[in-house]
Amino acid sequence: MRGRRLAPFIAVAVALVIAGLFVILAGSKPSEDSAETNLMGKPAPTATGTLMDGASFDLSRRKGDWVVLNFFQSSCIPCQQEHPELQKFVAAQQAQPDGARFYTIAWADDRNAVESFFAKQGGGWPVVLDTKGSIAVAFGVSKVPETWIIDPEGNVRFRTIAEVTADFLGSQLERLREGGGS
Amino acid sequence: MTSWNRALKRWPTWVALVLVVVSFLAVGATRASGPSTPVERAEELEKRVACPTCSGESVYESRATASENIKDRIRLLVDEGQLTDDEIIAQLEVAYTARVLLVPKASGFDALVWVLPVAALVCALAGLGVTFRRWKREAAVDVDPTDDDRELVASALRSESEAPPEERDP
Repeated sequence: MRGRRLAPFIAVAVALVIAGLFVILAGSKPSEDSAETNLMGKPAPTATGTLMDGASFDLSRRKGDWVVLNFFQSSCIPCQQEHPELQKFVAAQQAQPDGARFYTIAWADDRNAVESFFAKQGGGWPVVLDTKGSIAVAFGVSKVPETWIIDPEGNVRFRTIAEVTADFLGSQLERLREGGGS
Repeated sequence: MTSWNRALKRWPTWVALVLVVVSFLAVGATRASGPSTPVERAEELEKRVACPTCSGESVYESRATASENIKDRIRLLVDEGQLTDDEIIAQLEVAYTARVLLVPKASGFDALVWVLPVAALVCALAGLGVTFRRWKREAAVDVDPTDDDRELVASALRSESEAPPEERDP
């Protein structure tokens, strides 16, 4: 008898839990927008290293410009596949007076292999040698390719863990420039 | 009775034995069990961090590039000696999100991992308690007839014995 009185309350509680889960899942952002990171909207982590030409690189000194970081390994097939698209994107940005600065972060890769790749495939933008992976760890990168967009204030605004196209990257950058959220 | 048996049965022997056991327990409970060198400290931290590209492995065990990088970072921070263990883990969590924690946190949404099993256990125990109580009540009803039951049977027997012989059951 008592069990019969409790049954509707238990059923309502279970229904509420299921409805809550549905709301949480339905409200979550689709993955094609921006990949999850605790750094979103926050200052980009410290990222220093050496460029392939021997000059030093310090991300914090690039404030004032939109910065695009592309984590890369010369042996990674998706990285090789997206390379022509990155060339298109960089060319488009260089054609603009306030175009974004593009950097490749060569993560845990051999210097000679990176040099050989860029010599063969082209790409005249700066390449940061992150041989010990300190920049990758600071950004939480564990697979490549990954592309990040940092705004002129030095805050992280976008992250994608996938091969990108010039159009996709350009449209994301444009959306952020126009004040769109991540 | 030997002298050894006699000695055992004296109370000072037992008091001494209790003192020795309590001393060992006290020393064992209060002994510092944490890492004693920076290398051990780094290894302890590496065992708390999940390899971001493997399944169920710590960065201590993993040889993946990402894990090796994280190990380098942990060793650097330990050598610098400016951050506590929890601060080092928190720094990695900022970069890699909570998926890098092998042991989930006991706060926020992650706390459900700890709370739900306990809640399920409490509910299960409560359910068992209610069920056992109901069974006991039902069993008591079956075994021990109430006064009303006894009265009902007695009146039935009385009416049967008072009935004329032709109306009784053969």
